[in-house]
Parts: sequence; C-alpha cells; structure tokens
Amino acid sequence: STPLQSPTEVFQALQRLHMTIFSQSVSPCGKFLAAGNNYGQIAIFSLSAALSSEAKEESKKPVVTFQAHDGPVYSMVSTDRHLLSAGDGEVKAWLWAEILKKGCKELWRRQPPYRTSLEVPEINALLLVPKENSLILAGGDCQLHTMDLETGTFTRALRGHTDYIHCLALRERSPEVLSGGEDGAVRLWDLRTVREVQTIEVYKHEECSRPHNGRWIGCLATDSDWMVCGGGPALTLWHLRSSTPTTIFPMRAPQKHVTFYQDLILSAGQGRCVNHWQLSGELKAQVPGSSPGLLSLSLNQQPAAPECKVLTVAGSSCRVDVFTNLGYRAFSLSF
Amino acid sequence: CDEVIRKRLLIDGDGAGDDRRINLLVKSFIKWCNSGSQEEGYSQYQRMLSTLSQCEFSMGKTLLVYDMNLREMENYEKIYKEIECSIAGAHEKIAECKKQILQAKRIRKNRQEYDALAKVIQHHPDRHETLKELEALGKELEHLSHIKESVEDKLELRRKQFHVLLSTIHELQQTLENDEKLSEVEEAQETSMEADPKP
Repeated sequence: STPLQSPTEVFQALQRLHMTIFSQSVSPCGKFLAAGNNYGQIAIFSLSAALSSEAKEESKKPVVTFQAHDGPVYSMVSTDRHLLSAGDGEVKAWLWAEILKKGCKELWRRQPPYRTSLEVPEINALLLVPKENSLILAGGDCQLHTMDLETGTFTRALRGHTDYIHCLALRERSPEVLSGGEDGAVRLWDLRTVREVQTIEVYKHEECSRPHNGRWIGCLATDSDWMVCGGGPALTLWHLRSSTPTTIFPMRAPQKHVTFYQDLILSAGQGRCVNHWQLSGELKAQVPGSSPGLLSLSLNQQPAAPECKVLTVAGSSCRVDVFTNLGYRAFSLSF
Repeated sequence: CDEVIRKRLLIDGDGAGDDRRINLLVKSFIKWCNSGSQEEGYSQYQRMLSTLSQCEFSMGKTLLVYDMNLREMENYEKIYKEIECSIAGAHEKIAECKKQILQAKRIRKNRQEYDALAKVIQHHPDRHETLKELEALGKELEHLSHIKESVEDKLELRRKQFHVLLSTIHELQQTLENDEKLSEVEEAQETSMEADPKP
C-alpha cells in the first residue's frame, strides 16, 4: 500500500482491523455468500468467481457492500428469494436478485412485539421453519417469536427462558424448535401445542458443567434424536429422548458454533481452528483459519451449485476463510 | 501466385530433392533429344534411366510413408476412443465410489451413535440382575412379614391368656373376699347372739 493514504482509506483500514463478522448466509443459487459484521454492514461475495480457475485478487473482495442495520448483524438466513437479516431488534428482508444488481433497498422490516417498548432487545438468532413458512426470532427479550413470512404477523411468543437466548435449532421430524440461552438451559418447544416439552439444564450435569466458564449455551445443533451444544459447559452430545449426555468433547475453549456434517461434528469458537469431531468423542482434525476467534460456520450445500460446495468460516476479523476441502484453508475472502 | 509458391514449398521445400531431380530429368531429356553421337545418346539415356529409377524409388518411399501415416492416424483414433471410454468409465466409478463413501459415513455415524448410547446404558446395572435383586428383596419382605404376623399372633394369644388368668384371679379374689365377709358377718351374728340371749 502506498505511504500516503487518503483519510477514507485510513478509516476503512481501521474499520477492517476492528471488524467482527457475526453471521453468514448462502444465496439460494449457491453462488454467493453474504456476511454481516459488527458495523451493521452486509457484504456479498461471489463464491463462483473466487473459486474459478481465473480468480484474481479482486474476486476475493465483495461484489457489493451495504449498510443494513444500525447495530451489528447478529444473524442472517436465506429463503428461496430473500435474505433476512437481524441484529438491533428488527428483522429486515432483502431480495437476493436486487442485491446482486447492487440495488440494496430493504424490502420490509418488522419488529416483534416486545414487552417493553423502551429498550429494544437485540435479536441473536433467526430460524426458518419451511413447513409452515415462518421465521423464528430469539434474543434479548428471552422469548421465541414466530412470524408468518407471508403475512408478516407474529403468531406465537414462547416464554420460558429466564435470560437471553443465544441460538436456535430446528428438529425436522417433529415440528420442534430447540433454543439455548444464557440461563444455561436447552429448551425444546413444540410448535403445534405452543408448549415447552423438554428442558435440559446442561450446567446441572457434572460431566459437562464448567462453572468457571459460566453456564451459557452459545451454540446448538440437532440431528433427529441427537443434539450437540456448547458454550460455557463443555461441548456435549446429548441423546434427546433420554436427556442423557453421551459424549463429552475434550475442548477447553468455549465453542460458539457447531454443526453436524455427514458423520462428523464441526465446531469452532475461541481459538483459530475448526475442530472436526467424531461422534465417539475423538478429535479427527483441527484446521486453523485466519481469524483469532471464530463465530460462524457455513456449509454451502445448495444443490444448484455443487462446484461451490465449500465450508466458510468467519469470526473476529474482516476475513471469511474458504475451505474447499475440509482439510485445509484454500483462501480467504475479505471485506 | 501465392498458392503456387505455397504448393511448391509444400511439395519440396528443401529444394535439394525430387523437384530438382525432375527438372534435371526434363533437361537431360532435351539434351538427349539433341544429342549427336549414338554413344553420347546411349550414355545420356542410361543417365536418364537411373535418374528415373531414383525418382520412382523416392516416390515409392513417399507412398509407403503416406500409407504408414494413414495407418498410424487410424491407430491413434482407436487409442483416443479407448481413452475416452476409460475416462467415462473412471468418472462413473468415481461417482459410484462417492456414493459408497457417503453410505459408509452414514453407517459409521450410526455405529458411533449406537456406541455412545451403549456406553451410557452400560453404566446402569443389568436389567436381569436388578430384577433378580428385586425378586430376592420381595421374598425377604414376604418372609419378614410372615414372621411379624406370627409374632403378633403369639402376642395376641398370650395377651388373651393373661387376660383370662387375671380375670380368673380377680374373680377368685372377689369370691374369697366375699367369703371372708360372709364368715365375718356370720361370726359377728353368733357373738351377738351369745352375748344377748333371746328372752
């Protein structure tokens, strides 16, 4: 870089230095990746361009960046036409087709009915329920709100958590939602009967609780009868029906994102590496990324773009690492 | 004009070969026609024949080379097709193997899930044994309650017997007291009668 930089360039460089990427979402066509950061910006990267054989340095920069929210973008999900983003108490919708043409105007914005209208609590997690075409939002007000995507009305408010909610997961077979929060409990909600059907207080189990880290549940993933959760307590695999912890994964650092993939469990958190675990508790691989801490993992499994099937991870830096093969980091995209 | 030059270069680019030989042949033919003596003519004729046979030899060679090239082309075509087939076959095999890998991973995942649950179950005691223990405890309980019953019965019987005994004693006591009283009264009557004779 040239020694004399304009103030805007200096500002941008400083911004990048202090950037944290909280959320990612893959476009319905599978060729683009959206990343949301702590400044409320969303950047769209072209995965197909960056992965192609003629990729240059510019292909690793965003195709378009826009200011989406006033606060950090904590969570994003994509439907088959829209990108939904949330952070500062509101959820906004954008049309993927429009964003790709650089027309970044929000389609709509909604705010769930909060109990107090003074303080607007942040939204930490979004979850799509395709069977009923609705969106679930959860965050600082300790409730799960369901919103019908067609009408925009808020249909249910699930109460039970005693502290804010960090993460959500959907159990496909039964229409059940799992939520994990600061109060240390993983709660299962049945969407049809609108009740809490099961509660697992992770910190009460000796095998996995780590009081020095706290009891918060930072990440959650589910695969039919099994659930894996982590955070303050150790990363643990649970058998849901019997509410028993079956495997404790020996990882000291609190994990902030976890997902099931084929026969493995991938997790990331404090620390550079993406950890690959086998269900038996063995650490199969630890692959370092370029950020000192990781907050989100995204697996692009969109059937329309099998050539863009990559794992992208992001966290406390302005970079999104792209793993073409789970074994190593191929390259990084950057804001 | 270009085309002619090209064709000529193609046919005999190096200039030191057949084209020159044919030109020489034509020149020597003309010389032979214009030759004077028979000897000269004859020697010229011989020279022409040798040049001609050289040309024929060269042509034969070229024809053979051409043939060989044709056959080599055919051969390459065949090999090319075979390689194409084997590439397609390899692609299919790769797709098949990928499917098998996915299947194997699913199986491994199921096995590991099974193992995880099995480990937890192992921690709990065997159902058989627990049932047996339950049975044994049940029997003991029954036995003890029998004992308790029989002891209670004994106690009841003794209590009753004591009660009968005590009430009999009491009755006897009463009877004795009554008798004593009666005899006292009788004695008193007798002494009063002796002290006070009837008039």
